[in-house]
Amino acid sequence: MESALIGIEDGKITLIKNSLAFSYEPTEWDTIIQLNGKQIYPGFIAPNSTLGITEIDAVKATRDYDELGTYNPHIRSQIAFNVESKVISTVRTNGVLITQATPRGGTISGTSSIMKLDGWNWEDATISKDDGIHLNWPSSIEGGGWWAEPAPKKTNKKYTEQVQKIKTFFDMAKAYASDGKVEEVDGRLEAMRECFNGKKRVFFHANELQQLQDIIEFSATYKIKFPVIVGGYDSHLITRKLSDAKIPVMLKRLHSLPSNESDDVDLPYKLPALLQAGNVQFCIQNAGGMEAMNARNIPFLAGTAMAYGLTEEQAIRSVSLSSCEILGIDKMYGSLEVGKSATLFVSDGNALDMRTNNLALGMIDGIFMSLDNMQRDLYEKYSKKYEK
Amino acid sequence: MQITYRCPYIFLISRVEQIRTRMKLLLTIGILLITLSGLAQSEPSNGLKESTPAYYALKNATIYVSPNQKISNGTLLIKNDNIESIGMSGLVIIPKEAVVIDCKGKVILPAFIELNSNVGIAKAVAPKTKKRDGAFYWNHAIHPEYVASETYVFNDKASTTLIEKGFGFALTHQKDGIARGEGAFVSLGAGIESYLSSLTTSSFFSFQKGVSIQRYPSSQMGSIALLRQTFYDAHWYKSNQDNLNLSLAAINEQLNSPMFLETRDKLEVLRAQKIGDEFEIKFNFLGSGNEYEIIDQLAMTKPMVVLPLNFPAAYDVKNPYVARQIPLSDLKHWEMAPMNASILVNRDVPICLSGNGVKTKDFWTNLRKCIESGLTPEQALDALTMSPAKLLGVDDKLGSLAKGKLASFIIYDANPLDTKAQILESWLLGKRKVHNPSPAKTTLIGKYNISFSGKKYPIEIKEKGKKYSGEVTYRHMKKGASVDTTVNLFIDYANNDITLQFNIRNEDLNGSVSLRGKVISRMGIFEGEGLLPNGDWVQWTGIRSKKGKATKEKVKHLSVGDTTSQTWYPNLAYGFKSLPEQESVIIKNATLWTNEESGVIEDAHIIIKEGKIIFVGRGNYPTPLGARVIDARGKHVTAGIIDEHSHIAISKGVNEGGQAVSAEVSIGHVVNQKDINIYRQLSGGVTASQLLHGSANPIGGQSALIKLKWGFTAEEMLIEGADPFIKFALGENVKHSRWTSSTRFPHTRMGVEQVFYEAFNRATAYAKEWKDFKDGVISVEPRKDLELEVLNEIMASEHFITCHSYVQSEINMLMHVADSLGFKINTFTHILEGYKLADKMVEHGVGGSTFSDWWAYKHEVNDAIPYNAAIMNEQGVVVAINSDDTEMGRRLNQEAAKAVKYGGMSEEDALKMVTLNPAKLLHLDDRMGSLKVGKDADVVVWSDHPLSILAKVEQTIIDGIVMYDIERDREMRRRNQAEKARIISMMLDDNNSGGKKRTFFKKKMGHFHCDTIGEEESTEENHH
Repeated sequence: MESALIGIEDGKITLIKNSLAFSYEPTEWDTIIQLNGKQIYPGFIAPNSTLGITEIDAVKATRDYDELGTYNPHIRSQIAFNVESKVISTVRTNGVLITQATPRGGTISGTSSIMKLDGWNWEDATISKDDGIHLNWPSSIEGGGWWAEPAPKKTNKKYTEQVQKIKTFFDMAKAYASDGKVEEVDGRLEAMRECFNGKKRVFFHANELQQLQDIIEFSATYKIKFPVIVGGYDSHLITRKLSDAKIPVMLKRLHSLPSNESDDVDLPYKLPALLQAGNVQFCIQNAGGMEAMNARNIPFLAGTAMAYGLTEEQAIRSVSLSSCEILGIDKMYGSLEVGKSATLFVSDGNALDMRTNNLALGMIDGIFMSLDNMQRDLYEKYSKKYEK
Repeated sequence: MQITYRCPYIFLISRVEQIRTRMKLLLTIGILLITLSGLAQSEPSNGLKESTPAYYALKNATIYVSPNQKISNGTLLIKNDNIESIGMSGLVIIPKEAVVIDCKGKVILPAFIELNSNVGIAKAVAPKTKKRDGAFYWNHAIHPEYVASETYVFNDKASTTLIEKGFGFALTHQKDGIARGEGAFVSLGAGIESYLSSLTTSSFFSFQKGVSIQRYPSSQMGSIALLRQTFYDAHWYKSNQDNLNLSLAAINEQLNSPMFLETRDKLEVLRAQKIGDEFEIKFNFLGSGNEYEIIDQLAMTKPMVVLPLNFPAAYDVKNPYVARQIPLSDLKHWEMAPMNASILVNRDVPICLSGNGVKTKDFWTNLRKCIESGLTPEQALDALTMSPAKLLGVDDKLGSLAKGKLASFIIYDANPLDTKAQILESWLLGKRKVHNPSPAKTTLIGKYNISFSGKKYPIEIKEKGKKYSGEVTYRHMKKGASVDTTVNLFIDYANNDITLQFNIRNEDLNGSVSLRGKVISRMGIFEGEGLLPNGDWVQWTGIRSKKGKATKEKVKHLSVGDTTSQTWYPNLAYGFKSLPEQESVIIKNATLWTNEESGVIEDAHIIIKEGKIIFVGRGNYPTPLGARVIDARGKHVTAGIIDEHSHIAISKGVNEGGQAVSAEVSIGHVVNQKDINIYRQLSGGVTASQLLHGSANPIGGQSALIKLKWGFTAEEMLIEGADPFIKFALGENVKHSRWTSSTRFPHTRMGVEQVFYEAFNRATAYAKEWKDFKDGVISVEPRKDLELEVLNEIMASEHFITCHSYVQSEINMLMHVADSLGFKINTFTHILEGYKLADKMVEHGVGGSTFSDWWAYKHEVNDAIPYNAAIMNEQGVVVAINSDDTEMGRRLNQEAAKAVKYGGMSEEDALKMVTLNPAKLLHLDDRMGSLKVGKDADVVVWSDHPLSILAKVEQTIIDGIVMYDIERDREMRRRNQAEKARIISMMLDDNNSGGKKRTFFKKKMGHFHCDTIGEEESTEENHH
């Protein structure tokens, strides 16, 4: 919408109109901000990220996302979330205002929570506590020595065995969950309880075709209400199946190399367009090397998706409303609508292009956030050094 | 017995002479040698001498006298270990005392000669200490003084395995280390009298470090540098022998006899040839099996290549989920591997064939596959006999069957080059060994009636794979009617005895019937005794009612024309069927980002001819004849992107981290033209890259400056005449901060400074030594040191430094070090705190090549800011944005665009950071980096504004060759899929016909990072 006008009261959007056609009463508003020619976007989302639970990748002391153990559904990221992370302050300044703080490692890494990128403590930064568990589906074909000295192994056999272990765990969890009141509380199984009644999502981390097929079957068998595939490199091969099963995909980082030698050189770039065409619900995430600091580049992943087939609106949706739908927070976040939270930012130009992604202001739940960060401070400090 | 073998005896004398020279060097070794090679033969017989006939006559055989001569019905007369006579049966006079063996129907081939073997040699044991004591080379991987004959122990089992592959002789060596030592030429026949260790001398080399526990070398480029340094040292040792060095002495001795270098990839052949050229050595190669991919280079130099026959088995491709993930390169190699030999032979590259690393059964199958794929049987036999014999200079004694040569051959039941055959006997140095009984002359296949106890039973005997099976039919009553039942019949047939067994259930008999008897094969009659289920012992007979015929598998001969065209350049997905050529190109109506004073010109044209830009501008333009015309209306054209910091296209190790100073190694020696990421980066507009050594040590290795000429050879990719660059590094990586245990100096930034001073002090002393020598102050010629030569080049400003750096203290330090030694640092790479001391950088004259926005990956990047590039640029530093990341390398235009956001750089300046500025930093700006008449035609056509998130590359042109074209890319994608489907369907046929297969498992996609240690790519996170 061009020449738009947005009214915000008590952290919520209360008014969206065309400013040329709608005349407001200036005295009714505390603050009026003229954004001539600038663009307003809903706050972008960084799903499936260690942002806020890590600081410096190479320093173990600052890493808080990988707990020991194989089945860790009871491990919760929410309480480790560092609102004061210096990395966070460099991410929100590019328009990314919400993250899903996600543990890593093991078969079930733990339970994520959806957090705002501004707040006094993890409690008031929380948007959705314990939104889902993260399950790393075993790989169907990898393994067998390491790549320089591969040793043939019966991958299928071991794969079946590993999948069986997950099934065994879910059988146990499901039985536990069906008992409303257990005598002896088991933290792990207690944490699984809500996966079956739909209060928690199950995020299946998987990329290969075989895995995806098995996850679809698994979700149906265990009647998992909100299964989500994270990664989904091969998902473009089974769009119909995914769309029939209504399983959304949080796509593998777009800025990554093709997995197979003869894959289309731009396959990772065009996965969003392929899923869009296949009618599969999807959003963009950027898990991978240096993911915390790289969360600030999520707008440009959407920009790349636009270059490779999405419309601008679809591209914006893939890092905002679609993400919120998949995470289950779309009632309040992800778009600019009357009644939703005023979590938004204003950019000088197109926020999906690095040249014009420049924040004039940003707010989370109607509270203006600081556009400062230590990087900008250093910039200003040293710019002054050379002014002399 | 001891003087029977005249010939070896003579050779042994020459051996003893050699031993004496060695004894002078080291007595203990000499003693060992004598025991093994000479005196053992003089041991007196225990009791009476073994009886052996003087003559053997083998008659009526098909004899392959030599690769090109066959006698269909021949006689071979052998006296002791020599061939006395050979010819057509009837023409050879057989002495009366000869033992005559009828070889009718059998085939005799000269014994093969294996050049790549470690038979009888114990596996190398890792040295206990890192330091090497004694009069040897300092590095454990260099042990040329090792002599295989000193440790050789006859191994009956391993030797027999080789004989079963048709080999009678092997050149055996210890497969360990870079300079591996001398091989021993041995006969594979049992018995001490058949050692032949002195027939020939030869030495072995490789690029594998082996069991050495020293850290150096840890990469292939390190192995190459070490081998070069060894040859220089050996040369120096010729005139400087005051200090005994057995290793260098051995190398010098080995220069005059065949030298073999074991390779694991075709590119290693080319790398070794480069070393060979430097020292006038012509290596023979133990090949890896993919030499066909470099046939054009091999055809020019024609080295001897010993080819393996261990072809990859087909993958199990029945599961399409799995099949689609098999790399096309693997599929293509599976198809091409059997053609390797014929492709080489047809371009006159001399070959030998080896059975190394392949099971006996596969050896023969694969040998016949070679013949099916275009190698003639004569060429195959030559590669197994005369070719290796000539190479070793033993062709006067071995390699063919001629009068006067050593009687060494194998008798087969059929021609193994033609069909599945069995080894019957081996004759090595006249000594006979029976391996398998002669097969029956006639087959048992057919229908028979066997009778016992007055009843007849019809049977049928079939043959499958040399084994018999059959069926027997008997009658029994069922519901009042008589019915026939057919059951399996077990058959064993050996040495003219037949055993039949079957189970029967009828009114007469209930249980197992076992019969055994003799065969009168000519008449098709069996007779003997047997046991019935009731315990009766009966006589039985069998009479043939219908004779069957054995079928033999024959090989089909394909013409070579069918086979050569399948290799792509390079041989993987997106490879070219034939290399694209330089073209004249007219790109018209474009927006040109010239990077020159004229800035961005709209509606302009750029014309390319003979690899150069010949016109840039608006208005009338020249139109070279036959030019490709690209109408670029609405599109943008820039100079090709240059990545100042890249680690793609490198083989076997990006770091020589074994030492703190490794200036002697060079990425230029290990460029890998077959990296798919070259193509992927072309699709992002990259035309040239600096392939940098890693950052594991303060003074790393030399760079390779390449153009991304996909499909061309590594040599052709290297930029001709480019200035040499070397990688230095500072900070956390070089002090091994993330290692839980490290004993390598330095551990602090303080130590790093001193590493530099120490290294340059050594280099200065070295230079002085040479000066003194040249001035006549000293008379002894100094030893050439590859490492110190490079450091002196740096001090003379002939070699330029790109230094990995992060924090301002260390950056400042290195500039001080350089200033105090009188040279300049050329480029700081990473340089994430460059913004803090841009003024000092300008003063020193150093450029900066940085990341757009990376930080938080390690402690030393805490103060990294994305405004870095803008500040440095503003202050006048020549700034480049680099990738240091295989993925990011293909969207450097986007990374440059971030400088517009962070720091407000102008778009033109931002683009220069990935084009003209890196060209300046690499001293290539006179040829690249801008659109200017006379510069190299390295240009990119973009669909949109090159800094826009929407920009896609449509064409990437290098030296006037269209290396990437978005339309052609679409075709290639289809072609990749078609090619995969074609080969997978061949594999499915192979799967279904029972061919050998293997399970596919996916290799992890590794990449070299700055801090990757060792020869293998890392799947770890990058720490830059």
